[in-house]
Amino acid sequence: MADPSPTPQTLKLGRVAVVDTFAEAFPIKAARLIITADSQQWADTAATVLCGNATSVIACDIEAAIERKIPANETPDGRPGTAVLAFAFTVDGLAKALQNRVGQCVLTCPTTACYNGLFDCPKEKQIRIGGGIRYFGDGFQRSKKLGDRRYWRIPVMDGEFTCEDYFGTVTGVAGGNLLIGGTSGTAALRATEAAVAAMRSCRDVALPFPGGIVRSGSKVGSKYPKLKASTNDAYCPTLRGDVATELPKDCRAVYEIVLDGLSFDAVQQAMRAGLHAAAAQPNVVMITAGNYGGRLGKHHFHLRDLL
Amino acid sequence: MPLKLSYFGDTSVPVEVEGLTPDWACDKSPAEIERFEIFEGNRKRPLAEMFRVSGSATDRCFEWEGNLAGVHWIGAGMQTGEMHVHGPVGRHVGSGLRGGAIQIHGDAGDWAGAELHGGLLHIHGSAAQMVGAAYRGAPKGMTGGMILVDGDAGDEVGAAMRRGLIAVGGSAGDLVGFNMIAGTVLVFGDCGIRAGANMRRGTVGLFGAARPTLLPTFRFATTIRPHVVNVLLRTVAAQGVKFDQRLLEEEFDIYHGDAVSVGRGELLLRQVEVAV
Repeated sequence: MADPSPTPQTLKLGRVAVVDTFAEAFPIKAARLIITADSQQWADTAATVLCGNATSVIACDIEAAIERKIPANETPDGRPGTAVLAFAFTVDGLAKALQNRVGQCVLTCPTTACYNGLFDCPKEKQIRIGGGIRYFGDGFQRSKKLGDRRYWRIPVMDGEFTCEDYFGTVTGVAGGNLLIGGTSGTAALRATEAAVAAMRSCRDVALPFPGGIVRSGSKVGSKYPKLKASTNDAYCPTLRGDVATELPKDCRAVYEIVLDGLSFDAVQQAMRAGLHAAAAQPNVVMITAGNYGGRLGKHHFHLRDLL
Repeated sequence: MPLKLSYFGDTSVPVEVEGLTPDWACDKSPAEIERFEIFEGNRKRPLAEMFRVSGSATDRCFEWEGNLAGVHWIGAGMQTGEMHVHGPVGRHVGSGLRGGAIQIHGDAGDWAGAELHGGLLHIHGSAAQMVGAAYRGAPKGMTGGMILVDGDAGDEVGAAMRRGLIAVGGSAGDLVGFNMIAGTVLVFGDCGIRAGANMRRGTVGLFGAARPTLLPTFRFATTIRPHVVNVLLRTVAAQGVKFDQRLLEEEFDIYHGDAVSVGRGELLLRQVEVAV
């Protein structure tokens, strides 16, 4: 993902070298879905399936990930819930993808219901989800309007699937990232896992890659013209000596965390939490971030601001 | 500082205050408000002849005091603001309400919230007949908003309502949801006969301890807990209406009807008779 500057300066966080660079992120449209079910397990199952194949807008229709579990007393129907954040380049793209995904992954899942999780959104920025999939009810669907919120009730074989008609959207931030290098693959992974855990404790952010971690960090373009992105060779330890590497001498593995959020502050706060959690782990030799020289996105997260 | 309206009228004929709303009064001086024309029977009177007026309406908040059981149309057609009524009120309170909130700390007469379109009407006492109903000859009753009655309500609650939510904490009379087009009526106490008669769509929850006798034109569907009922009950609870907390866990018997009409309505009944 990185387009490294020729002579990066390094800062220190404890013993760990932090490259004086920035993560470059871009605006994106975001929605939050609250999926509830009779048990936390089924809410998590529906949310996990909904977030399948939603790692990167490079090749997926959306980026999506579980944000957090929601206790029963905080959900609209008083059942355990799971919040999902979903991101796409356009509001229309987000609506289309979420209609498909809620229809295929939440409607189908036992006992679930799906509610909007972003409020105070102007009507023109809302996306229709329940209203799009209600036709599955084949004319037997019913709606219930309460205040300015409409809930569609679609008959299914275990009762009803309830899905809110409209969901709010905001312009969020996509592409926040950290790259964490260690003296071994295990050390790098443990540190990155610690960073992921810290970031997931923050609100309004989602880490769309498997377990929140990317091992295949990418750069823009490729020698193959059809490819929009290809392996980030400067951070591949097996290519040291073949390419202009960015790896310190004792770095044998790098993992990347990519995160999207509902606001600049949310992403920055999560990156700060992740950076400090990773730096506190043993055998971490480098933490850096990916950018494109400022050409890709207007949001720049300077690591020096996070120390 | 709210506008305080203390009633001292002493008349046996109806007093009507239609049009005296925060929307009208917010930019008026106290003297102008005192000159507002109300009706005593068929005679026009300035407001000050029956009400002591103090405070200011600039923050769109009214406080009514006194025995207002003979004062009708309080808050009718209100669009914004707040009203707090301390004492009983007459007929048509909150009729045609479009927004804002009216809190009645006492009982209300007939036609409370009739043809209400939006906002909140919360009667902390009991209400008489025709809560949220359509006026005679009108095609639709309530079309939005919320009416909450902490106590009991009379006959024809929600008659011909089109949308919105009515919750009655106590018991209700006959013909709950009569001619209902859509919307929701929840009755947490017992109810009279012919609930849901001629309803087309919508939901009537009859959660009293005594299971009502249904019309034969309602068909049993299943026993289940629709998730949207959780949403409705939690909304009502958040407004302070008290009901049996076991309802938050129970399943309900669902009946569809009324078959003499469109038949897309639903009645929700507690699955078994419950001890209170």
